[in-house]
Amino acid sequence: MKIAVCVKNAIDETELKLDPSGRPQTTGAPTKMSTFDKNAVEEALRLKAKLTGEVTVFTVGGVESKKTMKEALAMGADRGVLVNSDTLAIDTLRTAELLASAITKGGPYDVVLCSEGSSDTYSGQVPPMLGELLGLPFVGYARKVEVNAQTAKVERSLEDSIEVVEAPLPFVASVISEINEPRYPTLIQIMQASKKPIEELSGDQLSPPSPKGHASVVSMYAQPSSRKHVMIEGTPDEAAAKLVDALMKEGVISK
Amino acid sequence: MAIYSAEHRQLMEMFNPDRHQEFSEILSSLGEFMEKKILPISPKLDTGEAKISVPRKALFDQGMCRIPFPEEYGGLGLPFSVYANAVELLGTADASVALSIEIHNAVAEGLSRFGSEAQKKRFIPALLSGKSLASFTLTEPASGSDAGTMATTAVEKGDGYSISGSKMFITNAGEADVYMVFAKTKKGPSCFMVEGDAVGMSFGGDLKKLGMRGSKTSEVIFTDCRVRKENLVGEEGKGADYAKEILHGARIIVAALNVGIAQLAYQKSVTYAKQRKAFGKSISEFQLIREKIADMKTEISAGRLLYLYASKIKESGGDCSSEASQAKVFATEMSLRVCDSAIQIHGGYGYTTDEVHRHWRDARLLTIGEGTSEVLRMLIARRELARSQ
Repeated sequence: MKIAVCVKNAIDETELKLDPSGRPQTTGAPTKMSTFDKNAVEEALRLKAKLTGEVTVFTVGGVESKKTMKEALAMGADRGVLVNSDTLAIDTLRTAELLASAITKGGPYDVVLCSEGSSDTYSGQVPPMLGELLGLPFVGYARKVEVNAQTAKVERSLEDSIEVVEAPLPFVASVISEINEPRYPTLIQIMQASKKPIEELSGDQLSPPSPKGHASVVSMYAQPSSRKHVMIEGTPDEAAAKLVDALMKEGVISK
Repeated sequence: MAIYSAEHRQLMEMFNPDRHQEFSEILSSLGEFMEKKILPISPKLDTGEAKISVPRKALFDQGMCRIPFPEEYGGLGLPFSVYANAVELLGTADASVALSIEIHNAVAEGLSRFGSEAQKKRFIPALLSGKSLASFTLTEPASGSDAGTMATTAVEKGDGYSISGSKMFITNAGEADVYMVFAKTKKGPSCFMVEGDAVGMSFGGDLKKLGMRGSKTSEVIFTDCRVRKENLVGEEGKGADYAKEILHGARIIVAALNVGIAQLAYQKSVTYAKQRKAFGKSISEFQLIREKIADMKTEISAGRLLYLYASKIKESGGDCSSEASQAKVFATEMSLRVCDSAIQIHGGYGYTTDEVHRHWRDARLLTIGEGTSEVLRMLIARRELARSQ
């Protein structure tokens, strides 16, 4: 079983600072492996443990991405493919194109796993685009994946229901965080990860950029969210009655 | 903020320009693990609702104890300063677990320095993997830093020794699988390894402590406890020297541990000061609170630099006795001041909430344990006066 898992070296949103005009300062911001990508790597490793095979990690990014790649290798992935490109300057379609080209080059793979979205920009577009570009079925928001020799049974977590679908191999899936609890690599694994092979590919050589059709970011800023501040006064009984009235008026609760 | 912060990363780069990235990867992963798996249960370890064996085993599994030991015994062969930094992070996550691990690893360090090849092979790999837990027994009911006055004896009997006496305030007592025991033979204080199930070894009740309540502390009593000849570590009569050497390293680690405790108390104080209002504004706006914040931060930074400096001297094989003592005296007393300020900043909540005052209670041990501040000041002065001759 050959398993591909795609990860992103994302901006660490917990360390992100805004400039005075409310724009996030992305240049030079600390980065880390996108939070849910750890779930994708974990799922790939569990499939590998069950079915025997090999896990290859794919990522698109600059030198900084090696850190995230090594983290996935420390968790237990066998090898990595790093497609060099400036992730901040390219859009989701270009990212998907580069991943698809790299996966095709090293393929075929039986299972391609991603997470539902990255913890920095969270557009959630790359996984379905990847399915389309690879010409493979795509199953999104997986909370359980069972893979057999020919097919996979996947539970998809939808807003108000769970959908169980079957997909033929090979397929692309995006997983959600509740699918598993990612393991922490041991210190020995972290040290050994630097000995695992990482293949570096040039993005432009792998797939020449097309001149049109791509999105570009015009601006990015934090939306200030305003909150209502209502002070309720009076004795506890009076205040409770006023609070219930106010909540009913807002439609939060009803009789 | 991550336990392994940008500040740690920067210091790592300055102290280890060649391999800082590798060390930072290891420490940030370990820090994340501690933040998710140990920090949240720390309040329960203090109240006794959670058992220390679980987080301790998790850390063994992660490989924390392997950090400073040679690869041939199952270690990772990394610098001592990286291990010290790991203990600082653990001090932030939970001081009791850090204390238990620190003692355990001090025994492994002693064996790696003074043990025979056979002893190293027999004990160290099992200690580093956590298959066995170690305890260090030097202090006695009536003998502390003046180890030469110990009353526990080891008398040659048959093809081994018979140990009699008692050891006091022993961390990991009753839980450990192996004990490093210091006892007097006719040649003087000597060092032995005693297995946890040895006949003639028994334990007093769990001592009720002010802090560090997650870890076990009790008396260890020896009554004609037989050990074989091959359990004597190093040479007879050299035990006091070995203990001294082991404690130099342990003091650096204790300094790191206390920097970790202070760091968490400081972080809680900053969060609280920003959020608590008085006279219509955050108390962090008041100069007297700002002075406390500034002093806490400054002292923590100084403590961290001192333990890293002492670690580096130890790594290079130099005599770190004075610097290790300086780091411990300063960092342990500093963390008491920081934790006291944390209580003051939290006001009534500081005095009545475990989540604030337990840091002070935890920190309070270590101006006493592993060399009192008074004894260490004597040691520093003696060493420095000798240096200037």
